Amino acid sequence: MSLVRLKGGRIFDPANGVDGERRDLAIRDGRIVDVPATTPADHEYDATGMIVMAGGIDMHSHIGGGKTNLARLLLPEDHRDNPVREPAYEAVQDANGRYLRLPSCGVCTPGTLATGYRYAEMGYTAAFEPAMMPSNARHTHLEMGDTPIIDHGAYVMLGNDELFLQMLAARDDFERLRDYIGWTIHASKALGVKVVNPGGISAFKFNQRSLNVDEPHVHYGITPREVLHTLSRALTELRVPHPLHVHASNLGVPGNIDSTIATMDAADGLPIHLTHIQFHSYGTEGPQKFSSGARQIADAVNARPNVSIDVGQIIFGQTVTASGDTMMQFRNTPLGRPHKWVVGDIECDAGCGVVPFRYREQSYVNALQWIIGLEIFLLVDDPWRVAMTTDHPNGGPFTSYPHLIRLLMDKSFRDEQLAKLNADAQVASALAQLKREFSLYEIAIITRAGPARLLGLRDRGHLAAGAAADIAVYRDDPDRERMFTSPAYVFKDGELVARDGTLVATPTGGIHFVSPEFDRGIEKTLRAYSGANLASNFAHAAISDDEVCSCCRGGRLLPVECLANG
Amino acid sequence: MHLSSIDPSSTTPSATAHVPASSLTRDWTCPFCPLLCDDLVVESHDDATLAVPDTECPRLAQALACYGSADAQCRNSVDGHDADLDTALAGAARILSSARRPLFGALTTDVAGARALYTLAAGCGAILDHWHGEAMSAATLALQDRGSFFTTLSEVRSRADLLVFFNCQPSQRYPRFFTRALAGTEQQRELVFVGCSPDPAAAGMANTRVEAILPDTDPFDTLALWSALCEGREASALHDNGTGTAAALARLQARIAAAHYTVLVYEPAALPGPHAALLIEALNRIIKATNRTVRAGCLALGGDDGALTVNQTVAWLSGLPLRTRVSTPSRTAGEQPLDYDPYRYRTDRLLADGEIDALLWVASFAPPVWPQALDQAVPVIVLGHPALAEAAKARGAATVFIPVATPGIDSAGHLFRVDGPVVMPLASARGVGLPSVATIAARLAAQLGGEPAAQVQP
Repeated sequence: MSLVRLKGGRIFDPANGVDGERRDLAIRDGRIVDVPATTPADHEYDATGMIVMAGGIDMHSHIGGGKTNLARLLLPEDHRDNPVREPAYEAVQDANGRYLRLPSCGVCTPGTLATGYRYAEMGYTAAFEPAMMPSNARHTHLEMGDTPIIDHGAYVMLGNDELFLQMLAARDDFERLRDYIGWTIHASKALGVKVVNPGGISAFKFNQRSLNVDEPHVHYGITPREVLHTLSRALTELRVPHPLHVHASNLGVPGNIDSTIATMDAADGLPIHLTHIQFHSYGTEGPQKFSSGARQIADAVNARPNVSIDVGQIIFGQTVTASGDTMMQFRNTPLGRPHKWVVGDIECDAGCGVVPFRYREQSYVNALQWIIGLEIFLLVDDPWRVAMTTDHPNGGPFTSYPHLIRLLMDKSFRDEQLAKLNADAQVASALAQLKREFSLYEIAIITRAGPARLLGLRDRGHLAAGAAADIAVYRDDPDRERMFTSPAYVFKDGELVARDGTLVATPTGGIHFVSPEFDRGIEKTLRAYSGANLASNFAHAAISDDEVCSCCRGGRLLPVECLANG
Repeated sequence: MHLSSIDPSSTTPSATAHVPASSLTRDWTCPFCPLLCDDLVVESHDDATLAVPDTECPRLAQALACYGSADAQCRNSVDGHDADLDTALAGAARILSSARRPLFGALTTDVAGARALYTLAAGCGAILDHWHGEAMSAATLALQDRGSFFTTLSEVRSRADLLVFFNCQPSQRYPRFFTRALAGTEQQRELVFVGCSPDPAAAGMANTRVEAILPDTDPFDTLALWSALCEGREASALHDNGTGTAAALARLQARIAAAHYTVLVYEPAALPGPHAALLIEALNRIIKATNRTVRAGCLALGGDDGALTVNQTVAWLSGLPLRTRVSTPSRTAGEQPLDYDPYRYRTDRLLADGEIDALLWVASFAPPVWPQALDQAVPVIVLGHPALAEAAKARGAATVFIPVATPGIDSAGHLFRVDGPVVMPLASARGVGLPSVATIAARLAAQLGGEPAAQVQP
């Protein structure tokens, strides 16, 4: 196969400790290869003076599945508001005369096609749907499969399904719960497990309106702490690389810092990932009884090496929140703008709530949410344990990442933005005192190397020989927002897919998933439960390799290895 | 509604009853109604007929009667004459490439079909609408205006102790509704039919009490009063012309307040038009208000013949639901590449007003559907069930017919179940060698793409 050489770029590859070193990269058969500089290349790209990183990896982005599509259906105005592009934008054709780019629109929840195009244009080559219900898994894979170019995967939701809670309440053997969790990962072709408001979505079905970490579920009597402990222990024993992905209790509630820290401790030192932690970092100080808990949360993360986080930064403007957390979403519906919303109870698995939000600079609460997110980025010491997310679309659309990168890298820009916000929020903030500016090396950690490590993707997120040639090449520009918006070159598995923000190829992405070992004997229990309670036949519960492949338009299966024993 | 010449009442499904099965498919999923019953055993016989002997479902029986030995021999046709597939595809591509405003109608297909048709629509600038577009559109408009509060079949089966049916008898359209949603559990339930008499299929279910209230009231008046009660108004303060409607609804609301989990069932297609969206909005508003204090959810029954499936698929691909026009890049500058308009892009109106210059009609389920009114001058491409071959041939000029597989009969596939989140896999019960809608649409798209390109990127 032909050899491609990317010449003269400055490499930022934190997974291999490379910090801005100037050297060439060689690509063959979709992989980065180690060849002597004298080996002639079939094609060369000039990257002189440019910044070279692995392709971006978004580890928490609601790109597909029921609630994302409900958000699209709920907000046609968001899609009509999409700025009209020149027809030439869609006129690019492949060698067979077919259009590369099909019409697809939307700002906060773009169509899957636009989602794939925009991620790739920005230099991202993978995104992960964090909230796949087992009953909605086929739908989720179908949507992710229609998200072109980027690789994808999903975390399956557990911990609110009636069977899990019944088994936990019945003090069933831990091994049986573990097998059930292993089976669910297998059956839904998931990369990890997420728990959303542990036990709370189920409790809401029994008309419970709040649930703290040590409070009993009104029907089952179990506590969120027990759910968290069981799930994190099971994932550790199943040797699933990604730690339990946790949307903690009390999302958005002033004073939730205590339950967020209690959630960290429920893992008992086992690996745990707290997602969109900004929404869980609120204090109750000050006249408005709403304050930044960023310092306490960052201190707690710094003190607990088993904890990783992603931030869920909010971005001002219209967006829509889409979450499995029906309990909290229902509670937040009076705050939604425009005032329309969807909530649903789903298949004894979980539920979903879709509530549009407009984050306003002049709102004290919204301004402080923005401040808290940035404070967390800046106060957590170890960038390997912080991933950059906006919890797309909940905090804002993923297309805000270049803006967010500039906020982190450029203190004066950050100060300018801060000065525009609600005056009381500015006063209540420590942000102006935080002098830290992220380096390119640190940005490469929080946007690709770190997420790849947290997900167990050994051949992604870095640029050593053997890694997949997912590469983003940026023109070095002091305006980091402009720089990260339109990379000069983006390669996916060695193929040039975008050039200066314009697509040149739209390959189908692959599917990352994990296949832990478990005892198949658990299927007897699942079959009996399904027959007695559910409206579907257990025979169709599991998705085979062939089926997921067809759901994903023939995308490559990318099995992720479980951790080695010992 | 359906094409009279293939009305299955004129066929005799029982004639196949004694034919020995040549193959059995267990855990088969029926594609003919959005309940997608997945607990069936289907027999495929040597004479290409199909039977599901142990399941009582008139809708399934009617659909299965549309399959037989002639299907495998069904030919493509162009302008009333038999043709091979390449000729038919070339004829179809000619029609689409010369059309300025084509409509893709009926769209009774699966996810794969919808995906491929979207690409094709983008290649020729087509409008997309479904056979059940009117009912779908009412549900979509209500969602866009106010949202919804929904529940799903397993929630109903496992926890609903009070079901309220608004103006509908589900078994008429969905014969196995009560079996699928309620049977086989110990749950004590009360079923209340509002605005209609009780569904006979609900009678005699174990642990279930059935009653009807307000059988003859106007649905708009009922929901106006009910909404007011939900917001805390006293029945005695409401004007119902002395009918007692307000008091009856207040008693119903009190039962909802005392229930563990109430499910409000309605059918968009069974609600009176043209303002069904207002009723759907009110039903969801009532359930949203109810959830401030107790738990409840709505269950909408609809989305038949792939309507829900195609709507979902087009929504995720494009960002907008059905009744959307997909433009090609040759559109005028400043024009949106996607134009969603649930009023302008109605099949009936577009056909009646002569606003389209080509029709791609996709009808892969059974009984297959045929356009209700169609100007002979409009060129038509039918990707259809073999039973449509005669009607297509009879139309003569400007008509291309390509027989296609029914997902779940002659091909695998995926469909969305009635309640939304669940996608069911379909297995082929028979496997007569007909191409799928997806295959044909992809080949057509390739042929359109093969035309000389106006703007090729250097």
